[in-house]
Amino acid sequence: MADVVVAGQRRLLNIGDGAALKAVVLLLLVALIVLPLLSTVLVTLQPDTIKAWSDVLFGRLSTNLFYKPLNNTLLIGVVVSLSCVFLGGFLAWLVVMTNVPFRRSIGLMATLPFMIPSFAAALAWGSLFRNDRIGGQVGWLQGIGLDIPDWLAWGMVPTLIVLTLHYFSLAFTIIAAALATMNSDLVEAAQIAGAKGFRILVGIILPVTMPALVAACSLCFAGAVSNFATPALLGLPVRMQTLSTRLFGMIEVGQVGRGYVIGILLVLISGVFLWAGNRIVSGRRSYATITGKGGRAKRFDLRSARWPLFSLAMVILFSSTVIPIIVLAASSLAPSSANLFSNWTLHYWIGTSDPSIAQGFPGIAHNEDFVWALIVTLGLGLAVAFSGMFVGLLASYTTARFRGGWISAAITQISFLPLLVPGIAFGAAYIAYLGAPIGPFPALYGTFALLVIAGTAYLLPFSVQTGRAVIQQVGGELEESARITGASFIRRLTAITIPLAIRGLAAGGILIFVKIVRDLSLVVLLFTPTMPVLSVVAYRYASEGFAQFANAITFVILFISIAASLVANRLQAKSQPWLQN
Amino acid sequence: MLEIRNITKRFGDVEAVNNVSLAVPKGAFLVLLGPSGCGKTTLLRMLAGLELPSEGQIVFDGQTVSDGDRNWSVDPAKRNSGLVFQSYALWPHMSVRSNVEWPLKIMKMPKSDRAARIDEVLSLLEIDQLAERYPNEISGGQQQRVAIARTIAPKPSIMLLDEPLSNLDAKLRVEMRTELMRLHRTTGATTVYVTHDQIEAMTMATHVAVMNMGCVQQFGTPTELIERPETAFVATFVGTPPNNMIPVEKTGTDCTVGGRHMPVTPPTDNCLAMYRAEALTLSQNEGETTLPMELIETSTIAGRTMLTGLNDGLRLTAVLDRPPGLRIGSLVHFCLPCQPDCWFGKDGSRIS
Repeated sequence: MADVVVAGQRRLLNIGDGAALKAVVLLLLVALIVLPLLSTVLVTLQPDTIKAWSDVLFGRLSTNLFYKPLNNTLLIGVVVSLSCVFLGGFLAWLVVMTNVPFRRSIGLMATLPFMIPSFAAALAWGSLFRNDRIGGQVGWLQGIGLDIPDWLAWGMVPTLIVLTLHYFSLAFTIIAAALATMNSDLVEAAQIAGAKGFRILVGIILPVTMPALVAACSLCFAGAVSNFATPALLGLPVRMQTLSTRLFGMIEVGQVGRGYVIGILLVLISGVFLWAGNRIVSGRRSYATITGKGGRAKRFDLRSARWPLFSLAMVILFSSTVIPIIVLAASSLAPSSANLFSNWTLHYWIGTSDPSIAQGFPGIAHNEDFVWALIVTLGLGLAVAFSGMFVGLLASYTTARFRGGWISAAITQISFLPLLVPGIAFGAAYIAYLGAPIGPFPALYGTFALLVIAGTAYLLPFSVQTGRAVIQQVGGELEESARITGASFIRRLTAITIPLAIRGLAAGGILIFVKIVRDLSLVVLLFTPTMPVLSVVAYRYASEGFAQFANAITFVILFISIAASLVANRLQAKSQPWLQN
Repeated sequence: MLEIRNITKRFGDVEAVNNVSLAVPKGAFLVLLGPSGCGKTTLLRMLAGLELPSEGQIVFDGQTVSDGDRNWSVDPAKRNSGLVFQSYALWPHMSVRSNVEWPLKIMKMPKSDRAARIDEVLSLLEIDQLAERYPNEISGGQQQRVAIARTIAPKPSIMLLDEPLSNLDAKLRVEMRTELMRLHRTTGATTVYVTHDQIEAMTMATHVAVMNMGCVQQFGTPTELIERPETAFVATFVGTPPNNMIPVEKTGTDCTVGGRHMPVTPPTDNCLAMYRAEALTLSQNEGETTLPMELIETSTIAGRTMLTGLNDGLRLTAVLDRPPGLRIGSLVHFCLPCQPDCWFGKDGSRIS
């Protein structure tokens, strides 16, 4: 009898714990994610800014303010997402389903572009293709005597190419995973029915992997429409505006209300497309089926097309990773990007001030701005990695441990909300939210704290995802079996949970570190001269025409990103099922 | 007529199937029986044309369809055979009707014939009311029926089934077994059926090939396998309950059976003695031909009682007419008949 009473009390206590924890996490997420977005909307509804809505949507300037950038943005979104699915799907098919030579290397290289910041490729494009349209240095190709037409040097075409070469690796990862987990019996059943290659592709493989294709398409779309760096570097010089560059411009010139309205519209557009993608794949035909033995399917024999297709893959992969890296490295050493591979000097890296070069700016090692930005960036990366993993783990632990109830559902939904919000719009939201004092709290604009808080909130979808993976790894049962032995919470944490989870946590933290270090779109609005970060410093140099400094700094970011990503890969012994035989 | 001639399949250094030869007449129900990893599924996939044999030939109705020596095989679609996958492999984006229809479309069967044939097979398998559903909307047993309907719709003369019942629950399995046998009689197609379940094999087959480690241990009718097992593996794998196999050692004139001295006359120094479960009895006391065992299992089967004893890794099963009223864990003496039912050599081959 006494036992029953004790058990009953214990139970009540547990429910109480859960509710308290859930409430705390929910409040935290609301403060991090919901309030910034809400306050942006509220700001635009203030009496003195509400006119911004009609200005943007119907005013005399609305064509230039909104509709032209909207057209460009949608064009970029559609073309880039379709090309990414096409390229990523092609490479995924090669790696997973055929006997193309060096499949593993192709698979590894196809995941690399995502480790490189997207503005790296845009800068590299400039170093190669710039013509004399806007003055300043010309690119290498113009330098060796080719006449680069404007459409190839500036504006839409290069933006589309650079963004596709960046985001296709996202599509590759998603589609390759889907192809690898597809039950090979489905294809063999079609072969037995007598269908041949193309018929199998169109009749079976494409429909079955449709959810992955749509997911890849919508994520690439969301990425492309919210990308700031590429259209800013390649489009702004010829006045090609997208919604994200327009948003940036509005806030830069102080038309904050209009900027916020554009930001809200950008969020809505991303949201509508992601929602539509989701709608397409849900419905009666669920794609979950009984999995077979799998993996036994014979690879599709490409016969004489093996080497040609291999070369084609290599062209894509080289132009998305190797070439940008080489061009960046070379152009940070060459005094003139027209002569990328001659007169190399380390001046832009370690030189002291010389009035005859680059208006007397010293090399980046002697540039106090750069050194300070490096310190701030690394500090920001570390801080966001820690706080992100902490919040992510807390949120995923809470939802895993106390599954039921609307609070858990709300926590899950809110934590994935930032996926819908383009980085630059999120940055704008944070200015609206914490840019001015709230009650007793001082305005955080221009402080390190603002960068950390915004970064943590922005990357929460990734940290929650990592947290979930870690918690699944530690597994309810492992922890429960420790509870049954009577070990206390702290004891369980130190003896069971942390030792099991530490590698996953470290890997997740490093990936968050990389994401924030190479990010430009979130921080470009939060940046202040007293609190600079590397990516924004590089962007400023590039837009002011100091390509060598910009490229040198980008090279540093690239080095940090790739090194950290490789460490993370080592740590988590990354599961890439499509590479297994 | 289905003929397999000296088929070998190697994956790298591993020999999955090793020099298998067998032949069954048209309309036979051939079961490939063996534990997992014995090569039975690989053999079936070679019959389907999904794998190329490394050596040997496969002949359907007098026509060679696979020739490993010439590195050549007829396309899976043109062998006049159909395969039912263990996972069913239903295309998830197509309704039941479209799943059955697609192969017929590929064959370029005219539309009206197609509709008629679909209706025919769907009603044959009693799933006509599910025609518009999607695979995820029907139960496992119904998915199984759809997979079979899809396979028989093009009227293959050879039906291949890969462990078709392993994903079903026990009761459904028994029903589907009957269903498959009815289907076999109706279509008259030569059927090759892969399973690790010897009860399925014994109830359904006209011919059984027992496989182990890539080799056919014995090929014959179910009755032949029970009455005259050719190897120790077959003797202990087939039959309910399986036969008892006891090691016998001869040192000089002394002879030990399962570690105890007994007056038997083995044909060689070291060999295995097979005793059928129904030949064993139980005794309260030690006797000349008893083995002491710990009683570990009893169960009632068709009015008789099956008892299993374990001692030092040796497991014996006896079938008695009435329950002995003993507790699990108690010491019992299994009483062997004077002579075993037959002898096997140390290598597992039958001696007498």
